[in-house]
Amino acid sequence: MTQQLTETRLRKTLPRLSRARAATVRPWLLLAPALAVLAVLLLWPLVRVFLFSLQDYGLREITTGELSWIGLENYAEILASPELWTVVLPNTVGFAVLSVVGTVAFGTGVAVLLASLGTFWRTVTSSAIMAAWAMPAVTGTYVWVWIFDADRGVFNDVLMGLGLLDDPTNWFTDRWSFYAIVLLNVIHHGFPFVAVTVLAGLLGVPKEMLEAAEMDGAGAFRRFFSIIVPQLRQVFAVVIILSTIWDFKVFAQVYLMPGGAGSNRSVLNLGVWSYVESFGQNRYGFGSAIAVLLTLLLLAITAVYVRAVLAEEER
Amino acid sequence: MTRAMRRPIAAATGALLLAATTAACGGGGDGGDSEGDGTLDVWIMQGTNPDADGFFADVSTAFEEETGATLNVEFVEWGDAHDRFVTSIAGGTTPDVAETGTTWTPEFADAGALASLDEHVEGAGIGDDLVEGLVEAGTYDEQLYGMPWYAGVRSLVYNTEMFEKAGVEPPTTWEELEEAAAGLKEEYPDKIAVAVPGDAEFTVYPWVWGAGGEVATLEGDTWTSGLDSPESQEGLEFWTGLATEGGYSSTGATTWRETDVLDAFAAGDVGMAVMGSWTPGAIVDANADMEGKFAAVPIPGQDGGIAPSVLGGSHLSMFETAEDKDLAFTFIEMMTTGEFAQQWSEQSGYFPGQVSLLDETLESTDPLVAPFARQFVEGGASVPAAPTYGNVQAKLTTSTMMQSILSGDATVAEASKAAAEEMTSVLNGSE
Amino acid sequence: MSGNRPLRRTARRSPLRQLGKGVLVALLLVFTLFPVYWMLNSSLDAQAGNTSSFWPAEPTLDHYVFVLTEGGFGTFLRNSLLVALGTVVVSSVLALLASVAVARFRFKMRTQILMMVLIVQMVPLEALVIPLFVQVRDLQLLNTLIGLVVVYVALALPFGIWMLRGFVAAVPVELEEAAYLDGASWGRMFWSVLLPLVAPGLVATSIFSFITAWNEFIFAMTMLGGATESYTVAIGLHSFFGIHSNDWGAIMAASTIITVPVMIFFILVQRRLASGLTAGAVKA
Repeated sequence: MTQQLTETRLRKTLPRLSRARAATVRPWLLLAPALAVLAVLLLWPLVRVFLFSLQDYGLREITTGELSWIGLENYAEILASPELWTVVLPNTVGFAVLSVVGTVAFGTGVAVLLASLGTFWRTVTSSAIMAAWAMPAVTGTYVWVWIFDADRGVFNDVLMGLGLLDDPTNWFTDRWSFYAIVLLNVIHHGFPFVAVTVLAGLLGVPKEMLEAAEMDGAGAFRRFFSIIVPQLRQVFAVVIILSTIWDFKVFAQVYLMPGGAGSNRSVLNLGVWSYVESFGQNRYGFGSAIAVLLTLLLLAITAVYVRAVLAEEER
Repeated sequence: MTRAMRRPIAAATGALLLAATTAACGGGGDGGDSEGDGTLDVWIMQGTNPDADGFFADVSTAFEEETGATLNVEFVEWGDAHDRFVTSIAGGTTPDVAETGTTWTPEFADAGALASLDEHVEGAGIGDDLVEGLVEAGTYDEQLYGMPWYAGVRSLVYNTEMFEKAGVEPPTTWEELEEAAAGLKEEYPDKIAVAVPGDAEFTVYPWVWGAGGEVATLEGDTWTSGLDSPESQEGLEFWTGLATEGGYSSTGATTWRETDVLDAFAAGDVGMAVMGSWTPGAIVDANADMEGKFAAVPIPGQDGGIAPSVLGGSHLSMFETAEDKDLAFTFIEMMTTGEFAQQWSEQSGYFPGQVSLLDETLESTDPLVAPFARQFVEGGASVPAAPTYGNVQAKLTTSTMMQSILSGDATVAEASKAAAEEMTSVLNGSE
Repeated sequence: MSGNRPLRRTARRSPLRQLGKGVLVALLLVFTLFPVYWMLNSSLDAQAGNTSSFWPAEPTLDHYVFVLTEGGFGTFLRNSLLVALGTVVVSSVLALLASVAVARFRFKMRTQILMMVLIVQMVPLEALVIPLFVQVRDLQLLNTLIGLVVVYVALALPFGIWMLRGFVAAVPVELEEAAYLDGASWGRMFWSVLLPLVAPGLVATSIFSFITAWNEFIFAMTMLGGATESYTVAIGLHSFFGIHSNDWGAIMAASTIITVPVMIFFILVQRRLASGLTAGAVKA
């Protein structure tokens, strides 16, 4: 009896000691493969793109490996370009803000609607949402381009049929209608994630709390903002961060639209600009500098988010 | 479950990676080391010859008979070909031989990607029979990098049925052109009288030149774009005015490329359009009903005569990555001389790059060949012969200008000034 | 504004309110499904592009036949499947290991690593295209599917780690302790206790990796530029559109072929996906 007791005590203390030692090595062993991948394929390239941005890096330099440092000249050229301030930056930032707000607000609205439905309709609707989600960005973009096609698209046809439009309109040439279509595309592709995540969160909010509030005479809006939103703080944090990440990086949705690959300058954003300068003009250094600026912009925004999230976590 | 789970995962990973490797190896395109097994990797532009598959099947047979090596032809689409060449040059994965657009050859030579052809051409003794304009375009730093293969020119193609019904005649001046457009619009209000595409630079320059303007000129070492000269602006004003003021084009055409023009024309929706000498075959191919229902005339000059039009074309270029350069040149010679060159020219509707073969074509009386031939001889012009012209094209400078005018975002004066500034800066290599 | 209780109760069940909800559901269904429907409709219509009919004016499967034979989409599908599965397997394994480390151990630099994982997700792909292109070239992996898998694993990994961390943290430590007391080794505990409980999270992250690889465009465009045989579906569709830019029936058929497998898969796993997402997001 006594022996047994000491043994258990021993077993309890001994592993703890070795576990303490293991605890310093083991996490690093577990992390090693992932960190190696991230270091080689994300961090080192980031350093490299910065190094490229300080060079006159063209096709010849890529093939031969020659170096020709030009300091901050690329940056000076970008920052001095009126295109950046009047077109590219507003398009990038403005669109990201609109699409994040649009995606999150719409997705949340859909989640609230779904939460109020019976099982049958909820299943039907969420299956439909899944279908929208599954549509790859490239496919989705072509479908929207087809719907809004000037001569043969269904959108113009219907508007003309209803007498709302006399002649076909080319929606891709105007900066605003161009981005309206991109916005539609991005929201269509992005809201399902928000809706599904927020819905799951909503269903987890205790019913009693809502009923109590209703008894107290709180209206629907008040119930939403004073009970649901605080309960789902973390869910919203995640959803907003991820939407920002995804929406800032919109490339194919712009590049594949008519005029989006560079011929319509008024719709350029940072990503497409960087790509066409690099691979179209063979100015990889200049393109890298644009990419670095885009990265810095995103990192500044993330920094704010990350602080908020980590502060919450460390409590 | 504990141990068992680890292995299947590891095994599955291994199997997948293995499968991916084999799949990847199957998907060659790696020009550098393919000579070991006696194959020649070749890129050819898509859509030049409607029967390209049959043609290259014959070439492959002949090539294998002569050299014992197999031919691996990959078709590349014009639209993304430039980027594809550039990434493969950067990645060292270029093919052995490729068709290169005449405006790209100096650019790729400048990047050090192409092999000089001078010795080979001299050895074969075919140097004197090459069409001058194509040799010029394929020469960089006094060396020949692009073997003249074929050339084409754009003229005004029109729908004869629509013209007859509307009671209008093919135009010989700009005024007549506008009248014809007006007549067509009256008869066919729902169709496009004249297509003014926004994303097709070679359909724009004839109007610039026709009014006496220049795309760009070289003085000393410096290029200057003349797109914003009064003459050029007059030409642009006329051409875009057909769409913006006359309403003879369509709003959809603002983002059209030449392929879109072709599709719409083949569908019978377009009265007239600037189209290439190679398109008649493709039009009938797309819509057999169009057979015999269209014809061509040279692009009219402002007050008569012929407006110059771009002599576009292709070279066959040899890449530095080709290990067996003699084998590569055997293929180039086979393609650009003799029977295969003639056959290609007949099937594709392009003019051959050899003087001896070209003369034959020029004597043709075919109504869908003769007008183009006249344009080729009397109204052929070249885009600025700068190695940086490919960058102007990639920057879509002219398309940008056209789209902003056609969509009403800018006036001809504003848009042409911006385009001229950009073209001047890119041509002089601001990089 | 708020009325008394009995009134509100009746208001809630009032036909007007039900009708409003019905309208909203209908609008939502139209918005979500119309593009999908229009894609299917055009892909089945020989007259697509000539008339905007809301059902196939001349039903046909020709577009599909064309796309799968001449369009080469059979090959593209196979390539995408290989790339996506490769990405899922490799990234899941790496992410799981890493997530255990950050969720179960307190060690120096833990916060910094978490922060880095979150931050690298923010890096725009356009910034990585040029250096990764050079890197993959130096590895001699351009124009190969392996090269793409390598890149996609890197892209999918941060999200996977971040998501799985929540799941691992949610597994009660007591279960692990119990396993230790039973004399189980750490490795054994990992496979027999942790893994089964984290499985739903793995499903969710696998789906994300799969979608990342299936949809990715810019890297495929630059790294597979030279070899049509190794094109993935996204870049295959881009190239197909370049050649047949006005054959909308065929373009929509190709789009359908690319979309439908993912769609079916999504609808099948939707319940698991939802629970997976929330558990990951609302970290315990």
